[in-house]
Amino acid sequence: MKCASALVRRCSSAFVLGCLSVVSASAQEAPALRAHRVVLEGGLVWSGSYGIGDVTAQMRSNAPGTTPPPVTWFAVSSEVGAAASAVARIGFTLTPGVMIEGGGMFGMPRVAMTITADAEAGPQQLEGEQLKQYVIDGALVWQLPLRFGPRLRSFVSGGAGYLRQLHEERTLAETGQVYYAGVGARYWFRGGAGRGRSLGLRGDLRANFRRGGIDFEDRTRVYPTAGVHLFFGL
Amino acid sequence: MRRTMGLVITALLVSSAATPVRAYLKLGSPVAGRIVDVTWRGPVKYFVSETEAPGLSAGDLRAAVSRAASTWQAVPAATVRFEYQGMTTASPGVVDGRTTIGFLDRPELDRVLGSTSFLIDTTDGTVLEADVFFNSRFAWSVSAGGTPGRVDLESVALHEMGHLLGLSHSALGETELTGSGGRRVTASGSIMFPIAMSAGTIADRVLQADDMAGISDLYPAAGRVEATGGITGRVTKNGHGLLGAHVVAFHPETGVTVGNFALNQNGEFAIIRLEPGPYILRVEPLDDAEVDSFFSAAIDVNFRVTYAPRMVVAPRGGSSAPIEIKVLPK
Repeated sequence: MKCASALVRRCSSAFVLGCLSVVSASAQEAPALRAHRVVLEGGLVWSGSYGIGDVTAQMRSNAPGTTPPPVTWFAVSSEVGAAASAVARIGFTLTPGVMIEGGGMFGMPRVAMTITADAEAGPQQLEGEQLKQYVIDGALVWQLPLRFGPRLRSFVSGGAGYLRQLHEERTLAETGQVYYAGVGARYWFRGGAGRGRSLGLRGDLRANFRRGGIDFEDRTRVYPTAGVHLFFGL
Repeated sequence: MRRTMGLVITALLVSSAATPVRAYLKLGSPVAGRIVDVTWRGPVKYFVSETEAPGLSAGDLRAAVSRAASTWQAVPAATVRFEYQGMTTASPGVVDGRTTIGFLDRPELDRVLGSTSFLIDTTDGTVLEADVFFNSRFAWSVSAGGTPGRVDLESVALHEMGHLLGLSHSALGETELTGSGGRRVTASGSIMFPIAMSAGTIADRVLQADDMAGISDLYPAAGRVEATGGITGRVTKNGHGLLGAHVVAFHPETGVTVGNFALNQNGEFAIIRLEPGPYILRVEPLDDAEVDSFFSAAIDVNFRVTYAPRMVVAPRGGSSAPIEIKVLPK
């Protein structure tokens, strides 16, 4: 029992210290965007690769019954490759800590395909095709009440977007949705003290959940993105 | 007489062509220097022969043919209509202005289960009369679940009535050689494959995507042309077109496979009436059936199975930009 009491006291002390450090951080002058202002951003986003399905071409076997077991003719494994995209965003600060934003992103990821299980041809990687991919999204960004330096401030964000992927021949567009959640930080080169315009760099890391678009199995796909933008607070 | 007679014979196990048949998917007839589809202009009005086969009555035949006709009529993307006219004492293969389906005893055709012959208006490719016979030398079955050792009549009727409607053979199938010099089907992707599955099986009572694409090409339902797309291209070997290369389009989202051949010396092919979407293209030599089941001239089968380097999109209401697929000799 004695040991248990000591443990509780140590935990309580750690909790109080934690509270104090948050209060301490809030009390300092953290960089912030100005409320009720527009923020313009532009930069690059790197998207990680993700599979879009493993499928098999099948024929009917020569066996009894109306639905004889299938025979695999060949198998195809496909993925959308990693790609860089250009991004432009516009935001509006509801408060110094909360911003709504929207933007667009354009990239040209490649769809790669690998053929296997073909009895008449060896495994092979096909050249694939290059998509034109557009994402238009809206998000909520919350600047965390934490401070890592006089010019740096972290945030979390979450949003949803419309995905449009155009095949190489530009005769078919496949659409879908993207949902994401992420963390990031802003670094102010200029401003951030609540007065005047601000200029800085923003970094984002996101987990993206994609529905629809080009996919051979109609499943939700998860892929990471990392972005770096310049931001300009008016 | 503007109407002249053209005779085209197709068969399930062995095939021959007395007039130029433009091979696969559709039968063709030369009209004014070009090949036109062989089609019916109205409902297919048919009679069923009263001749019986061992163990089967004419009523059994009529019922099996009726079920096969219903299967073709049920393809939603096509407008096919059969009208049963009654029983007849006439035999199939006799030019009498009637389309007759029935049994014939043809012992000399020891590998032919059935065959279809046509009377065609060679001014426009319209079918005037077409007869189907089933070779009564074989042991037939009309059992719902099939009978071991007996050939399923409904399956063969479905195949022959595909010919009757104007379809030719499909090469979507895999075979292996048997000890007797014949071929045994190991896998099939079309009921229009020229070689039947083993006796006792009933799988060929169900149309496959390849069959439905073919029939909707010949008899498209309203709006079908606008709702589907096509893929065009060229198969080349050493820089020259490759007549007879079999090209299969595989839709990875639906699993559907539809095939066609490169049908001229330039190696050009077209696969149409496809659901819009991206397709993987596989090119193979015609080595799973007798070449003369498809072509009346020799074709090059000395090349390796090859895939198109990228997916090709069949756009809604149109066709893809032509893609060149280069194959290498074996």
